[in-house]
Amino acid sequence: MSDSQIIVGLEIGTSKVCAVVGEVSGNQVANIIGLGQSKSRGVRKGEIVDASVVEEDVRNAIVEAEHMADVEIQSVFLGVTGSHMRGFNNTGVHPVVSADREINDADVQDVIKNAKAVNLPSDHSVVHVIRQHFSVDGQDGILNPEGMLGVKMEVDVHVVSGRYNRLQNPIRLVNGLHLQVENIAFNGLASALATLSTEQKELGTLVIDLGAGSTEYTIYSGGVIKHTGVLAVGGDHVSNDLAYGLKVPLGRAEQLKVDNGSAVIDAELNDPIIDLSTDNIIPGKKINLNHLQMIMSMRLREIFELIENDIKQAGYIDYLRAGVVLCGGGARTPYITKLAGEVFKLPAAIGRSSTVSGIKNALDEPEFSTSIGLIKFGAFQTQTIPNQGGFGRALRKQFVSLFGVRK
Amino acid sequence: MKEYDLPVIRFIGLGETGVKLVETLAMIGLNGVESYSLDTDNRSLSRCHQSKTLLLGKSIPCGLGAGGDIAFARAAIESDRDYLAKLVSEVDLVFVIAGMGGGTGTEAASFVARLAKEAGALVVGVAATPFNCEGSRRCNKAAGGIRDLKQSSDVVFHFSNEEVMHMSGGETTLNMALETANRYLCESVLGLCRMLIEPGLLNVSFGDLKSSMKEKNSLGSILCVESDRVDFASDIMEKILAHPSSLNGKAFREATTLLVHFSGNDNLSLAEINKVIESISLCASAVDLIVGATDSSKNSLLQVTLVIVQKSKTISSLMETNESKDFTPNEAHNLSGPENFMPSGDNSYVNLGVKSKSANRGGFAFAPPAPALETISPEMKESLLEAAANQEPNRKKRKGIKQEMLPLEIISKGRFEKSEPTVHKGEDLDQPTYIRRGILLN
Repeated sequence: MSDSQIIVGLEIGTSKVCAVVGEVSGNQVANIIGLGQSKSRGVRKGEIVDASVVEEDVRNAIVEAEHMADVEIQSVFLGVTGSHMRGFNNTGVHPVVSADREINDADVQDVIKNAKAVNLPSDHSVVHVIRQHFSVDGQDGILNPEGMLGVKMEVDVHVVSGRYNRLQNPIRLVNGLHLQVENIAFNGLASALATLSTEQKELGTLVIDLGAGSTEYTIYSGGVIKHTGVLAVGGDHVSNDLAYGLKVPLGRAEQLKVDNGSAVIDAELNDPIIDLSTDNIIPGKKINLNHLQMIMSMRLREIFELIENDIKQAGYIDYLRAGVVLCGGGARTPYITKLAGEVFKLPAAIGRSSTVSGIKNALDEPEFSTSIGLIKFGAFQTQTIPNQGGFGRALRKQFVSLFGVRK
Repeated sequence: MKEYDLPVIRFIGLGETGVKLVETLAMIGLNGVESYSLDTDNRSLSRCHQSKTLLLGKSIPCGLGAGGDIAFARAAIESDRDYLAKLVSEVDLVFVIAGMGGGTGTEAASFVARLAKEAGALVVGVAATPFNCEGSRRCNKAAGGIRDLKQSSDVVFHFSNEEVMHMSGGETTLNMALETANRYLCESVLGLCRMLIEPGLLNVSFGDLKSSMKEKNSLGSILCVESDRVDFASDIMEKILAHPSSLNGKAFREATTLLVHFSGNDNLSLAEINKVIESISLCASAVDLIVGATDSSKNSLLQVTLVIVQKSKTISSLMETNESKDFTPNEAHNLSGPENFMPSGDNSYVNLGVKSKSANRGGFAFAPPAPALETISPEMKESLLEAAANQEPNRKKRKGIKQEMLPLEIISKGRFEKSEPTVHKGEDLDQPTYIRRGILLN
């Protein structure tokens, strides 16, 4: 046990609060040993609107996870999201000034610092600076320039930023529960980490996390993150549309969505009417399944189309050779892969958190991908490889800067 | 005073309706509950046998009632302030029970509630409101009374006679309607007390009640329904939805806290309880649900008490509700005897039975009723309003008023109503997609 480390991923989502406990042993494979969740009541569109209720929900989830993993949780890696978050690419330039023109560690840190110096609105702060590629004197595609010779070094980075105050809300809440927040991570990034294999990252994949309150998407290509985005539309909107369109209470609409939902309109329904006459809440109500599917399908299609437009504009649509991976609770909608395939004209699949090991049924559910991804994120951050000297430290630096976070 | 382990509960009935209700409650009798009847009218107090009585304002109205005169009632209450303050001190829970729309009940209720709150008790207002046909003035006075009571007590449970009338259909007699209204009210109040007094399997303590109601200053409803079936779930749900206090399920939609209490014998089926709770939580999502159960009942009758505490609303939305006829006030008892049909000093019965247009003049609900407003012609009213507008001293203040958008296209955003809108290229994504794309569902 001495060389293993406990890492906890906490996601405060719109429909559920989920804490996953992972154990990272010497060989860097995260092993999931505990899972705690509770229904979330104080979150809308991925952001906290009622702190006291959320505090209670988080406490419940943490307690459940502690119980299952039989550990005491002291710190967490926290997932953040919200419509205020932005992702964009930036380039940093740095002249190599040392006499021998050899690029050293300090030069690398400097060039990344230059890349971070972007024109953010005053109330924004940087969440992630993820380095993509270096180029030395015009030579592209260098992964690690340390030790090379050159005069001018450039780096491409992907920056994820968000409003400072809105990022602080969940952090303060978790701190209030006497839990330390080790670091925060963008939910879309965490989901991608959990679901993608190295091969998928190389080939180019779009990961869409269909949450209840918001939808996050991340593009990996050539092994690095190219693009991220958030859309504050999610499963709640589907339920709300159904409640409005079918004239049923929201709770019932939610249940109809789960029981009878479909992402595509099935024209050959034998019996399109659902009879709710035996229902206690809305007695005598009949619901046309075609309408239900129409409303759902319109909403989900719109979400995909908005994402597709954004990606087209950013110019990455042709980089996605490994297709689309869906995760989050919304990925459970029947035929959702068919709909995504139609919209993006790419193969689509449900993401499985195959890159970590542990409790099997927790990993099979697409809605846990963010929390599991947070553990992977945490594992990268806290990696320590003892007794391996220089190489180990260098590797650690590489990872830390790869997912470096500046608050 | 705290010689009981149980919370000290007091019923305080004010005004004629209040006295009558408290007397009924006292007749049924619950251990550890004390009942007090207070009125300015000797006659109504003389009918009390079970509860302790007090004639308010001995020197002022000489025991002949306030006759709907607020100022008179106020003077009477003020004169007995010391007694009232003593009455509500060292008590855990005070039920202020009054019929709204008259003089004594309307005025005294908020006064007593305020005293009780100052003394540190949890104050629950129980207000019966009149039938619409009792006249707009009375209804408006009742709505104003409820508003005052709401501000001075923790929660006000509102029992509308009009709602009872709608529920029971057109066939009922006046007597029956009043009786039904009173029965609903008494059952509900007793159900709530039982919840606190009877030892439970799943206990609902006074603390639960307190935390769910304290300082809410909101409206609420209590429903008490019974069933003698073993598979009671569907029966209970039907009765709950048919209950006038559920306002056709509207009460659930606006709830923040729900207390559900099952009082049955030892054969209480968990599966059936589960079904009831499930059905309730389906129509009331995102509420605090507190469930309690006792098995002390001797017979096979199961009683379910449901306490709904609504969100605190602003005055403006209260007016809206008033307009949409939910508040439709009226007092039960002033119509109970023929002697009460005599105009009692004011003209509240002048347009009895006349469905006047002004009956639901929501915006005017809380303005002090002008004398004989009904006699003013619409033209006269226009000119009066215009004159009043011209006299407005602070024209400058109006600059701060925001121009509202006309609600030409009413598309509800449901649960996203109050959240930050998600706007993408000028489109509000919170609205259903199919509506924005103009697709019709036939």
